[in-house]
Amino acid sequence: MSLEQFKDRNVGTQNYTMLDLGESPKTGWGKFKQVAKRSVKLELFTGLKVTFREMIKALFMGEMHTTKYPFEKLPIAPRYRAIHEMKRLLESGHYRCIGCGLCEKICIADCIRMDTRYDENQRKEVSEYTINFGRCIFCGYCAEVCPELAIVHGGRYENASEQRASFALFEDMLTPLDQLTQQKEYPGFGAVSPDADKKIKKTPLAY
Amino acid sequence: MSKKEITIRIDGVECRTTEGEYILNAARANGIFIPAICYLTRCSPTLACRICLVEADGKRVYSCNAKAKEGMEVVTSTEEILEERRAIMEVYDVNHPLQCGVCDQHGECELQNYTLELAVDFQHYAIADTMREVKDWSTVLHYDAGLCIVCERCVTVCKDMIGDNALKTGPRGGSALDKAYKETMPKDAYAMWNKLQKSIIVPSNGTEHTNCSDCGECTAVCPVGALTERDFVYKANPWELKEIPATCAHCSSGCHLYYETRFASIDNHEEMIFRVKNEWNFQSLCGAGRFGYDFENRDVTKDEAAFAKAVEALKKAETVRFPAMISNEEALMLQRLKEERGVKLVNPEVRPFQRFLQAYAKASGRSLYGSDFKEIMKEADFVVSVGAALRNDNPNARYAFNSVQKMNKGAGIYFHPVGDTLVPTFGKSVECITHKPGQEESALYLVLDLFADKESLPDYLREYLAGFHETRTRTVKEKVMKEIVEVVKDEESGEEKEVKKKVPEMVEKEVEYDHNLLAESLGVDPVAFSESFEKMMKKKESFALIVGEDLYGHPQWENLARLVALVEKHCGMMTAMIPPKSNALGVALICELVDEASGYTVGYNQPGDFRLSALGDGDLDMPAMNQQEGTMTTMDKRVVPTNAALEYGGYELNDLMNALGLGKRLTIDWTLELPAEKGFQAVAFDDLKDGFLNDGTEIRGYALTPIKGRASTAKAKEASDEVLEGEIAYRCNPQRQFNDFTDRAHQIFEAFALYASPAKAEELGEKVEVVFEKGSLTLEVVADERMEGEIVAVPDFKADRDVYGLFGESRYANVTIKKV
Amino acid sequence: MDGYIIATVIKAILVLAVISALAGFGTYLERKVLAFMQRRLGPMHVGPYGLLQLVADGIKLFTKEDFIPNNANRLIFMIAPVITAATAFIALAAVPMLPEFELFGITVRPIVSDLNIGILFVLGMMAAGLYGPLLAGVAQHNKWGLLGAARTAVQFLSYEVVTGLSILAPIMIVGSLSLIDFNNYQAGGIGEWLIWKQPLAFILFLIAGFAETNRTPFDLLEHEAEVVSGYATEYSGMRWGMFFIGEYANMITIGFLASLVFFGGFNDWGFIPGGLAILLKVSFFFFLMLWVRASWPHIRPDQLMWLCWKVLMPLAVINVTVTGFVMMF
Repeated sequence: MSLEQFKDRNVGTQNYTMLDLGESPKTGWGKFKQVAKRSVKLELFTGLKVTFREMIKALFMGEMHTTKYPFEKLPIAPRYRAIHEMKRLLESGHYRCIGCGLCEKICIADCIRMDTRYDENQRKEVSEYTINFGRCIFCGYCAEVCPELAIVHGGRYENASEQRASFALFEDMLTPLDQLTQQKEYPGFGAVSPDADKKIKKTPLAY
Repeated sequence: MSKKEITIRIDGVECRTTEGEYILNAARANGIFIPAICYLTRCSPTLACRICLVEADGKRVYSCNAKAKEGMEVVTSTEEILEERRAIMEVYDVNHPLQCGVCDQHGECELQNYTLELAVDFQHYAIADTMREVKDWSTVLHYDAGLCIVCERCVTVCKDMIGDNALKTGPRGGSALDKAYKETMPKDAYAMWNKLQKSIIVPSNGTEHTNCSDCGECTAVCPVGALTERDFVYKANPWELKEIPATCAHCSSGCHLYYETRFASIDNHEEMIFRVKNEWNFQSLCGAGRFGYDFENRDVTKDEAAFAKAVEALKKAETVRFPAMISNEEALMLQRLKEERGVKLVNPEVRPFQRFLQAYAKASGRSLYGSDFKEIMKEADFVVSVGAALRNDNPNARYAFNSVQKMNKGAGIYFHPVGDTLVPTFGKSVECITHKPGQEESALYLVLDLFADKESLPDYLREYLAGFHETRTRTVKEKVMKEIVEVVKDEESGEEKEVKKKVPEMVEKEVEYDHNLLAESLGVDPVAFSESFEKMMKKKESFALIVGEDLYGHPQWENLARLVALVEKHCGMMTAMIPPKSNALGVALICELVDEASGYTVGYNQPGDFRLSALGDGDLDMPAMNQQEGTMTTMDKRVVPTNAALEYGGYELNDLMNALGLGKRLTIDWTLELPAEKGFQAVAFDDLKDGFLNDGTEIRGYALTPIKGRASTAKAKEASDEVLEGEIAYRCNPQRQFNDFTDRAHQIFEAFALYASPAKAEELGEKVEVVFEKGSLTLEVVADERMEGEIVAVPDFKADRDVYGLFGESRYANVTIKKV
Repeated sequence: MDGYIIATVIKAILVLAVISALAGFGTYLERKVLAFMQRRLGPMHVGPYGLLQLVADGIKLFTKEDFIPNNANRLIFMIAPVITAATAFIALAAVPMLPEFELFGITVRPIVSDLNIGILFVLGMMAAGLYGPLLAGVAQHNKWGLLGAARTAVQFLSYEVVTGLSILAPIMIVGSLSLIDFNNYQAGGIGEWLIWKQPLAFILFLIAGFAETNRTPFDLLEHEAEVVSGYATEYSGMRWGMFFIGEYANMITIGFLASLVFFGGFNDWGFIPGGLAILLKVSFFFFLMLWVRASWPHIRPDQLMWLCWKVLMPLAVINVTVTGFVMMF
């Protein structure tokens, strides 16, 4: 958008489409005619009809919308961004996070922090990992930037808790080992696109 | 050795540079980018990466080792060169682990940068990988060979700058390249790969561990994550760290460095220093600077009761005792305390140096020594060191000495009573003269004798020096070609012929030579010395003298100061002194010190009746040097700023001064008032610049202005023949220890112990009591593989052990060593 | 005479108890009906189908802090809700709720007091109810309250005129102000209902009734989108609850009036006994009010005034005139 367009503050004369609402009556006689016409046509009762119809539908035709929330839950979309989950490697059960710190860097709410160290196996070990859910805005950048598909958004959206710390630690977000087989890949932000194979060039290997 | 200024054109940009400068350096100095991985600005070209290819006057050359010539036209990138560079980067990426995510260099990795810069998006080459193991080379060095690209920067810097020569390339055991590549690949890339595939970095002593000074400069120069500090491995990512430019306060080098801070951990949100970085193209750090960073005074709050007591203590104090590790501003505050309240200022570390400097100023007519170590490093090609334990006293003096040998193809003479096995390895033309303690005057006279323009010397000196020369004769064996006539019979013709032949023959011959008694008295064979000296002097143009701490506390210090002035004047030598401790030069210039403490003493980081301490063990807490801002005076005669890297919640000296009615609003308000009559300038702290320009020019702070006076004409005394004999202890710290603060750092392990050569250490056993005149110390014995001879070294880095009190002014003392 | 007093007291207490309970129950119904019309469930958690929600609400209202803002006129602030509730219940005194029936051999007339000016009394009391919101709004030292009070005065006073004029025509026909007489006038079955003779009066009365009871689309007194909560802005707890009860009691009163005046009152309706018939009719009017609330938007104050003075009032006058002419000839 060019600067000229910004500077044109003549609001209302730009690209608005006017709806064809007809003319409002100008004269007293016109207004009277309009009232009379509307009264005779019983326009008001259309409104009553609609609400009554909806009531009948709700009560007798099983079209009630209400979900009794704490007792019933609607399925959420697979790409929904709720409390984070940390995934494990299916083969070894080891957590996927390599401690690269990209999520920490990209986090615009600055709510992720991690402690890493050099472990006995000469690998980078994440010794502690926290997300401050009091600050998290669930934007999904961390999941998008994660090179290992390790941090993803889960479906747990009930954030009420006595303490924020209750679900901010690494262990709380990590897939429990005994549920490893039920671990599902996250299709949302940061996931591998279905045609990813087609997009990459293979590096030659001498083996 | 000033070189001719020339002009070259790089990519059409006119660049001023000096003759003989490498094209790459000229480009860097002028802010033109030529990719280069293996080249370090102050070191010799390695030619490992070959990526700095350019076209100079139409020819392809490596800009890191092609010298600039007047009017040269340089093109930094052509299509072919780009192709070559790209191929080289592809080769570097072959089998390089794709673990950027966890790599410690991630984000500041030159491999990443150049791979992106040269747009490598596809790999054409492949080779089977070799198992390369991760190794810990020493207590601080961590080498991940898998990540190494064998650019050899570490090897180069260790050799050319540090002088430890602790690293070399070793065999990798990788498989050979596919022959087909030779035809298909760009030439340079193939050659580079061929070399890369064969080598890896290993410690040069053939073991798994390096035996070096653990300075960590190799970790700093490593372009990838291969060489890192053990403590830092996988602790934090570079981009999280906040860089705080500061000045290292451990020794008088006052090196520029960056403290890199971050919150300590998830549980502890306090800022903590994670590591130290330096501008390695322009300045090398030592182990104390790089690893001795966590000496801050933690968790200090304002203790009002202690503060009130401190004010009382200062009110009744007769003496304030303080160390050299103090900022100029604090020194000025103490001086103001002296002026206003008449307290005595005592600083055993600085006092001898101050006296010596004053005596030198009197003799030379200039308040400061004429040269500095930066200049020596750059210009000198013959350097003489007197009275400095080069390896231990000051890293930068040592780097300068080493760099002169390596980079300037220079020579050096090292006068010192304690034998050292490292200094001779700095270069082929290094002569070590191990004289007896006390003979420093003779050493300086020898320097005068060897280098002085005899015509300009005062008569008495000329005569005195002539007295050391005797013409003697000696027998030399000489090869002489002797002509002999042989009669050879021709077998066919039976004719006899006379054939002339030359045959070598050894002939003993009496020759006259100039026998130098001075050299002899210093314990060298005068004949061999004069021969090697002759070789050393070949093609040498600029000479330098490094003066060390031994001279300052020497009984004949006044005469020595005069001699130094004479050497500087008559030998035309660049002369620089090593201030004994951190800010010794600043304290020497700012404070009026006295020799002896008396009465009620307030100790600032020093023993005393009331102790102000940044070590957390005193009566009132003070900020450590990484928690305060201020200026330091370096041995290069610059006043440089330092910044607070960490928070400090307690009182500082300025608060005490305020309580006494002498303070200013901020500590840095004192910067403006540093004494101009001593060479300081009235520049506000916030106006001081920090850092280096592209061509390496130091723009930190400002240079002290030498104050000129009238040179005194007092004659130099003859060398006294007092020497120390018997069991001798030398006050000298291990390589990475300078003071209580380095000792506090968790990555510096050198103990407070008796250091001795391996032979001596074996003789002494495990633990000894060293008995001085005034007391004794019980110390463990540690063998220092690089020491030689009988003299043992006693460290002084712990103030509360009062080593200065035991030794007195001199660094040498007669002791009795008893086994315990 | 004593018996009469005791019976009256008992009736008064009964009316008070039943109607206030019904008012509470009305809130439940309102929520349910509105929910159904929006295809929601409404209150469901307290008791079966949320029936005990009104108990929970009651507990809440009773236990809430009795709060009087600074600078408010304390006395008037405290009295105002009482005026609303009291006038609403007093109005019911002259309304016959059910047909006469026998209990323990005593004939019970389910009307607290059969005044001969019943309808005038009812309308008068309801008109007096306007002091509740008016004083509340003025007393609470709140700009929204003040706006609410102003709207109260304008709206209630204006529509009082329409109510009176619209009901004047039926009164002329019946010739009595007693509601019992109205009932008896229509005893002859559906064909005798006054609605057939006075349809216009009924429509005008109904519209005015909505305005009098402050119901959508005329709930401008506490229109939360415009004046926060109008006259009730600073009220909470039981004081606010009294406004609420008063409003619902008024709704019931209007329901009774409409049934008695236009829809045959508590006369038997075919096979349906009169008692049930009037309850059904009142229930329908109550439901109608909720239904309208679910369906129609608010109108603007100027539209409200326009409607009152330029449409309804002239129509009512014409209606009275025409009725008079018809009766004369």
